[in-house]
Amino acid sequence: MQRFLLFLLLFFSLGVQAQSVKKADSVKRITGLILDSAKVELRKFDDRKIQEYKENKEFQYEDLKPKNQGFWERIWHAFWQWLDRLFAGSGEKTSSSFWNGVLKYGLMAICMALIVFVVFKLIGVDFKIFARKSKEVEVPYDESLENIHEINFDEQIEDALQKANYRLTVRLLYLKTLKFLADRELIDWQPDKTNQAYVKELAETRLEKDFVALTHQFEYIWYGDFNIDRSSFLQIEHAFHQFNQANI
Amino acid sequence: MEQEIFSQRTDLSQLSQAVAEIRETLGKIIVGQHDTIDLLIAGLLSNGHLLLEGVPGVAKTLSAKLVAKSISASFSRIQFTPDLMPSDVLGTAVFSPKTAEFQFRKGPIFGHIILVDEINRAPAKTQSALFEAMEERQVTVDGHTHQLEEPFMVLATQNPVEQEGTYRLPEAQLDRFLFKVEIKYPTLEEEIEILTNQHQQQIQHQLDEIKPILDITQINALRATIKALFVEPKLLAYAAQIVHETRQHKSLYLGASPRASLALVNSSKAIAAIAGRDFVTPDDVIKVAIPVLGHRVMLSPEKEMEGLTTADIITQIIKKIEVPR
Repeated sequence: MQRFLLFLLLFFSLGVQAQSVKKADSVKRITGLILDSAKVELRKFDDRKIQEYKENKEFQYEDLKPKNQGFWERIWHAFWQWLDRLFAGSGEKTSSSFWNGVLKYGLMAICMALIVFVVFKLIGVDFKIFARKSKEVEVPYDESLENIHEINFDEQIEDALQKANYRLTVRLLYLKTLKFLADRELIDWQPDKTNQAYVKELAETRLEKDFVALTHQFEYIWYGDFNIDRSSFLQIEHAFHQFNQANI
Repeated sequence: MEQEIFSQRTDLSQLSQAVAEIRETLGKIIVGQHDTIDLLIAGLLSNGHLLLEGVPGVAKTLSAKLVAKSISASFSRIQFTPDLMPSDVLGTAVFSPKTAEFQFRKGPIFGHIILVDEINRAPAKTQSALFEAMEERQVTVDGHTHQLEEPFMVLATQNPVEQEGTYRLPEAQLDRFLFKVEIKYPTLEEEIEILTNQHQQQIQHQLDEIKPILDITQINALRATIKALFVEPKLLAYAAQIVHETRQHKSLYLGASPRASLALVNSSKAIAAIAGRDFVTPDDVIKVAIPVLGHRVMLSPEKEMEGLTTADIITQIIKKIEVPR
């Protein structure tokens, strides 16, 4: 019963609302446009007066400098002023502001790129990974190299002989022979090359056999620390001289 | 002429003879690979462990077995698999009903020559079981330390880390290997020779015929001889400088350890002895520089992406250092 009453109540209330909406829709009002007939007074500004105002410094707000500027602020201000003057030369304001914008944002982009570069460098990113593959490796150190082309062999050999330092003398004789071969472009002298590298360079030449013998002598004495007496030294010295003279 | 002037200070005749015999024996079965064979012999004489790396099928295991066969010593083989446990390598305590006590049962590591096949297929947990044995020549289990007998040599084989199912070995373990010997593909001529030998069924016959060349006493004596060889102080500085530069080089994020310096000098001595000299030359140092240092240094990721190898960097380092002369 209660349900039925509720249904009736809802039914009639909806009907009333629908009827009122229908009535509202059916109303039509015809309204006409009311014309504004008030008199309009056209005012014209005096061009001469406008020009006066323009020339008056008190109305030129753009050039106002803020008070208490620091050194860098003054520099930056002068810089932007200079840019304004530079690009305002054409007289077209739109063009000037365009180039100012380009420059301003260009500079900002460069600064940003610089900051990013510094940060990347600090965290150790190697920019070469973006480059092409390279087998060359940079070695960040230098060696103090003994250059055989700068040694005064005759003087040093004489000095070593006077001290009866045969081991050192043989070393100098060997280095002198390397210089001799390098000067004649028979070997490519490089500080990082071993004696065997030079032996390979002289392979299948008439010098090979004798140079191998000299190299063995030098290696036994210098790297092997074999002692040599005067008579042994004289034999070795003779072999070195013979080699150099035979190949002049 | 040098024979007349310089008499040998050290008797290397036994060593030279043994080296010649090992070369001949290995050369009968391994076609080509002369440098590899020399490095295997140098490793054996330097009291070091060797890591043989190569793609499947280039005779890594065969090379290791041949080295082991050339010595009259106990030989163990451990096949490293992903499920291998440290106790499978070292040994474990087993309860004995007779004595009602736990007794230590030795693992395969207790031998003279240990072939660890496919070492990088086992996880780091098992790898670490080898650390103490390889460096200190002892095994500690359940609080008891068991000494390993000399000579003790680990010959490990591995596929390159890029191969499927492999792990990268821990740096600490790599540092314990004297050399990493890279076994390359044979040349065309060598491959034809391999096929001819196989076709004539010679290999198995030759393998069965191999007789030990050196016994334990001889090996230990030769190692002592090599240890006493002369190294000019400037060459020690040269070796140290090469190692030192690996720590400074910006293309490497891990440089070589002082253990690498020792390995470089000791193996240079072995190379000198194999060449019949009782002193070291710069060529000896250079010859072993890449096998000694190549696996001990780590490339920076950027250089790895560029396709560089540790061998490239070591070569560059050597080229920048003046040879002492």
